[in-house]
Amino acid sequence: MSITFKNVAHTYNEGSPFSYAALKNINLNIPEGKVTAVIGETGSGKTTLVQHLNALLLPSEGELEVLGKNIVAKEKPKNLKALRKQVGLVFQFPEYQLFEETIAKDIAFGPKNFGASEEEALEVVKKVINVVGLDESYLERSPFDLSGGQKRRIAIAGILAMDPGVLVLDEPTAGLDPQGAKDMMELFLRMNREFHKTVLIVTHDMEHVLHYCDEVIVVKDGQIEKQCDVKEFFRSVALLKELRINPPAIIRLREELIAQGFHIASSILDLDELAQAVAKEVRSHE
Amino acid sequence: MEKIRVEDLTFSYDKERNAVEAVSFAIEEGSYTTIIGHNGSGKSTIAKLLIGLLDKDQGHIYVDGEELTMDTLYDIRDKVGIVFQNPDNQFIGATVADDIAFGLENHQVASEYMQEIIDRYAQKVGMSKYMQSEPTKLSGGQKQRVAIAGVLAMTPEIIIFDESTSMLDPQGKAEINELIQEIHKESSITIISITHDIEEVAKSDHVIVMDGGHVVMQGLPDDILLKEEQLIALQLDIPFALKFTNALKKAHIEIAPCTTLERAVEEVCQLRSKM
Repeated sequence: MSITFKNVAHTYNEGSPFSYAALKNINLNIPEGKVTAVIGETGSGKTTLVQHLNALLLPSEGELEVLGKNIVAKEKPKNLKALRKQVGLVFQFPEYQLFEETIAKDIAFGPKNFGASEEEALEVVKKVINVVGLDESYLERSPFDLSGGQKRRIAIAGILAMDPGVLVLDEPTAGLDPQGAKDMMELFLRMNREFHKTVLIVTHDMEHVLHYCDEVIVVKDGQIEKQCDVKEFFRSVALLKELRINPPAIIRLREELIAQGFHIASSILDLDELAQAVAKEVRSHE
Repeated sequence: MEKIRVEDLTFSYDKERNAVEAVSFAIEEGSYTTIIGHNGSGKSTIAKLLIGLLDKDQGHIYVDGEELTMDTLYDIRDKVGIVFQNPDNQFIGATVADDIAFGLENHQVASEYMQEIIDRYAQKVGMSKYMQSEPTKLSGGQKQRVAIAGVLAMTPEIIIFDESTSMLDPQGKAEINELIQEIHKESSITIISITHDIEEVAKSDHVIVMDGGHVVMQGLPDDILLKEEQLIALQLDIPFALKFTNALKKAHIEIAPCTTLERAVEEVCQLRSKM
């Protein structure tokens, strides 16, 4: 079971003078069990793409298969509830969607909606609050008394509480400080490595793509420009330039050193390896 | 010449915990100062105290030697502009031109001068083509440029950027950083930038590091950014260039620690030619 897009198009306001083709002819296979980055310029269609995964948006054309469930253009989707339980979608700035009086109630909202009893829900709430790096002392507090980063953790805990197999996050680190962003990315990596969830992250941060993701999907003008593994993606500087992507610092340094005449393999993505290569060359001039 | 002096400044939102405590620093006229610290360290509170949006509990703020009080608030506010973090929360006008005009109208600038002023600053920030555009048609970076034009139109002597690029995409970030650098180079405006961007800090003249409402370090970026252990303890990033020179040391290469990639590359090139 995986996630497959077949000739998917999405047009907003179809048939009206304001109609806008946000996705065109998307063919895509998203591997299960990996952390995949979805990147591209603002307005390229990243958010529209990922909002199809739990049928929040339905295709205008084509069809997609998500974990064995088919969503076909112009057809009423079946099994929506089961799909939404399996694919957890975290919006941009999810902290704006907190609404309950207490953190416990906010996190329990999803599981209860899907039929969990009070006791079962509480059990889950206690588990996920720890997973997101907070503890049970928070449960009876108001979600609105927390810092921005903590609120975002609560919102994510609400999604984890439904135990989805696929976790989709739309710019989850936007507006966080560097430490908050790092903690957040480590949480998603752990969701993948330890709990074996398929993770999709929409992001602009190339350092995050390099350090936390396995695969990259590049969206450009509503189409898939490229899909490959992260190491391959960062090997081709020409492609990054063409896509107007500011490469991670390690690659900027590597390319600058190569431009200065150092003989460094363009496959190097690790700082220690890069330093070793430079050290070797400096010594060879002795 | 000293533009701003802050002495023993203390402020609390809830009277339980001081958001800013006994903070003192001085900022030179025309300089580019960065303020760093993790979220909740008191950076934005300082910005709001400097423009008189919040009133201090204790201490003193001086601008050009004049103390900020209820009596001098409006005079001093004329000298200080601020650009906030969220581009959507500060666009007031129905169009770009209206938005830039807002501050001018508040200051009762005669309408015959207004158009020229609006045109000049729209051009300065590269938004001339969008004069009649509505905010919903603009990108985050473009909205921030309009906000900067509105601030520049008031001819401030000091501009505070409060994480003005943190909600923008990489292209928007690069555009705004470039614009800030340009303002710094071309004018005598004193710039204070609250930021998480270590590369921006490395290029600034002076850096103030905050933690738990206190100023814990301040000085030249080249000195502060090399204090690796302290920065990590404060949950702050260290420059990538420093990670690189550290890795070289680990590989037994004698190299001076660097704060910028340009400098680090220069250093290794020299080492290679020397050997």
